[in-house]
Amino acid sequence: MGSGNSVGSGNSGADQENARPDRTGQAEAFDAIGDRYDEAFPHKEGQLSAGEWLIGSLPGGARVLDLGCGTGLPTARQLADGGLDIVGVDLSGGMVELARKNVPGGVFHRLDIADARPGGTPDLGRFDAVTAFFSLLMLQRAEIPLALRSIHQLLLPGGLFVLSMVEADVDDFAIPFLGNTVRVSGYLRDDLRRVVEGADFEILEETSYSYAPAIADVPPEEQIFLRCRRRG
Amino acid sequence: MRVTESRAPHEGAGSQPAAVVELRAAHVAPPSPSSPPAPAPAASAQPAPALPDAERPAEHGRGGAAGDIEPQTDRLRYLDTATRRIARGMDLDETLRELRLAAVPAFADTILVYLCDPLSVGDEKSAPPVTLRLHLPEPPLKPRPDAADTERLTVPGRLAELLLAGRPVFGDTQGIGSAVAELLEPVLSGAGSLPDGRRLIVAPLRGRHRVMGTVVLLRHPDRPAFIGDDLLVASQLATHTALGIDKAVLYGREASVADALQRAMLPSSLPEPTGVRLASRYLPASETARVGGDWYDAIPLPGNRVALVVGDVMGHSMTSAAIMGQLRTTVQTLAGLDLPPDEVLHHLDEQAQRLGSEHMATCLYAIYDPVSRRLLVANAGHPPPVLLHPDGRAEVLWVPPGAPIGVGGVAFEAVEMAAPAGATLLLYTDGLVESRDRDVWTGVELLRARLHAAAHVLAAPPLEELCDEVLDILGPGTRDDDIALLAARFDGIPSHDVAYWFLDPRPQTAGRARRLTARSLHRWGLESMLESTELMVSEVVTNAVRYATRPITLRLLRTDVLRCEVGDDSQKVPRMRQAQPGDEGGRGLFLVDRLAWRWGATRLSTGKVVWFEQQIPERYREKRLVPQPDGRP
Repeated sequence: MGSGNSVGSGNSGADQENARPDRTGQAEAFDAIGDRYDEAFPHKEGQLSAGEWLIGSLPGGARVLDLGCGTGLPTARQLADGGLDIVGVDLSGGMVELARKNVPGGVFHRLDIADARPGGTPDLGRFDAVTAFFSLLMLQRAEIPLALRSIHQLLLPGGLFVLSMVEADVDDFAIPFLGNTVRVSGYLRDDLRRVVEGADFEILEETSYSYAPAIADVPPEEQIFLRCRRRG
Repeated sequence: MRVTESRAPHEGAGSQPAAVVELRAAHVAPPSPSSPPAPAPAASAQPAPALPDAERPAEHGRGGAAGDIEPQTDRLRYLDTATRRIARGMDLDETLRELRLAAVPAFADTILVYLCDPLSVGDEKSAPPVTLRLHLPEPPLKPRPDAADTERLTVPGRLAELLLAGRPVFGDTQGIGSAVAELLEPVLSGAGSLPDGRRLIVAPLRGRHRVMGTVVLLRHPDRPAFIGDDLLVASQLATHTALGIDKAVLYGREASVADALQRAMLPSSLPEPTGVRLASRYLPASETARVGGDWYDAIPLPGNRVALVVGDVMGHSMTSAAIMGQLRTTVQTLAGLDLPPDEVLHHLDEQAQRLGSEHMATCLYAIYDPVSRRLLVANAGHPPPVLLHPDGRAEVLWVPPGAPIGVGGVAFEAVEMAAPAGATLLLYTDGLVESRDRDVWTGVELLRARLHAAAHVLAAPPLEELCDEVLDILGPGTRDDDIALLAARFDGIPSHDVAYWFLDPRPQTAGRARRLTARSLHRWGLESMLESTELMVSEVVTNAVRYATRPITLRLLRTDVLRCEVGDDSQKVPRMRQAQPGDEGGRGLFLVDRLAWRWGATRLSTGKVVWFEQQIPERYREKRLVPQPDGRP
């Protein structure tokens, strides 16, 4: 555990290319969690409101990439229903299956979000908008600025980016999660803004929610939603 | 819990000695010919078989003629029946009632019972002087307001010696005349005179080790006098009565001690945690089995959660009550560690086996979290809880039944379910649902239907009334088991009143925690509490960071108080102590102790939580509706 890492230290970026952290455990955990994820996290007001903003801001048929789409609910379906062209990726094969079922109009790939970059495999192309709801927190802190830079590259100039994170000052921290264990990272609000802005995004709006999952083993959390635009 | 063995009688003399003796001599019918002779209260009760030859010995004189064999046989037959019915009595009053029915009118016309005052319960030897009080049969005549001062007679000299010797004597025995007259004086005053010596037998009530009082048997002047053999009959009646009293006193003492023990081991009051309202009832078994091992508990946990417990030690005895006390304490200790319900039961099971293999109990352990509005439940052989939903639906919760505590080596399983705001959880023991006429499942269904009906009348019935309503299903009559009942109305705590963070333990963590706290207090409009709260958070977090190896947690919770909890993975609980040079940790707690309304440190299985609370000034408290709607912000 890199508890000594300071915020935004991208010093392991070089290792990153060679030694990708093994996230098999994360994928298996989410395969096992499946539908229960949506039961444990109902009432996603922040997420829905961000989706509405995208639908209102983008022309019909605009391409949107949902990073860490999970079951496809509510975001991929909301955006598809809103007339947007949705591509979703998720580390968990089980989740991708669920998303395909839940959102027949979308295209879904099983992919580590750290591998989602232009010219990768599969080549996802470029997008008018990217969403990453509670998915970047599955990466180690050192990977997050890199992932943000990839997102920057996946976006067309002026493209929109919506990000949500759980506010926490931890790096690669193992927590019990719906009967499984997952490793998560997080930032406090000001640090998160710094990292996002450091990846050349303009933060248009910030909202936060105190949220209590409807499950006993996940503590309440402070959720931060950032609506951003790609600079340049 | 009902079991067939170890049925203790209800209270005897030991538990309520005052009530037994607090009666006035003047209420007794005087042994005069004009008065009805039998004071026996149970009109319908069968009198003892007649002693047809009771008067014949007098006719034949006191000779040992061969013709006496038949009367002797009748005496034996009479004694056999009489002593058996006396032995049937399970408590003092019952024993004495049987004595009266056996003696009057078959053997005597009036019987007076005097009991030692106090009626000793130990094994101490009796010694003169003997102090007696007249005991009246049940149902006692209503004592008059001036009846508080009851007759208390000190028996002097020769009569005391005879009582201690334990042998019955006639009224005309030398040296006791005046003492007997004094004994009977209150009874005889104003009516009749002292019967002549051979129409009066004083039969000491002698228990195993001590004299417990005396029986005075009287015959009317128009009835033949007692003869010598009647002393033997009186002796038998008195001996069996005395043993019955002995037994009743001992049982009574055990029952009262166990009852007191049990009550002392139940919560004297329930906590009042935020987000849940509680009510409870405990009813001892009536009549024959006063003592049970039922218990209930509500234990506040970190994060404003609360553990709800109900349990039942098998059997009815002082041992059951004592085991209950030990198990309850064990559960409290385990709950304090904030273990999940299945682990609490697992460790409780292990502890029960250490206490002794014969100690079986059932237990249901639930944790209610008012923030996530979830309920975690594990069961060890206990009847299932019932949840009354806000819409009036009553549901018997499915929880894996599990094996009783004390069986050993059986895994328990916790299940999690929604606990919506406005719902009521009912935990109870089997005495509520099971009886001689009703199996558990019929009773559970009855309970469910009663809850549903109660909610139909009033959408959210007040908790205390709901408890009474539930106890109503018992109907009239005796209970053969004790009953514990714990009701919890879930109010919930809205998530916008809670803030929670994981923070890596680093030198700058205290500062970060301070800034997060300030942000929340601004959000809640509690700027007036900023300074003290930041100061305390900073101190407590600094302490936590010194020992933590994993991220610490900071939880803020706003209700009528502002509660802050700092958790870390070190079990070293900080103690307040005088500051030593270079000692930073303990000093901060002095500050917390001075600034906080309440504070504490709880060691958990995973580390510890240090918490403190400040009262929110009235004008800053949020006007909230109770119960909270289940919607989230």
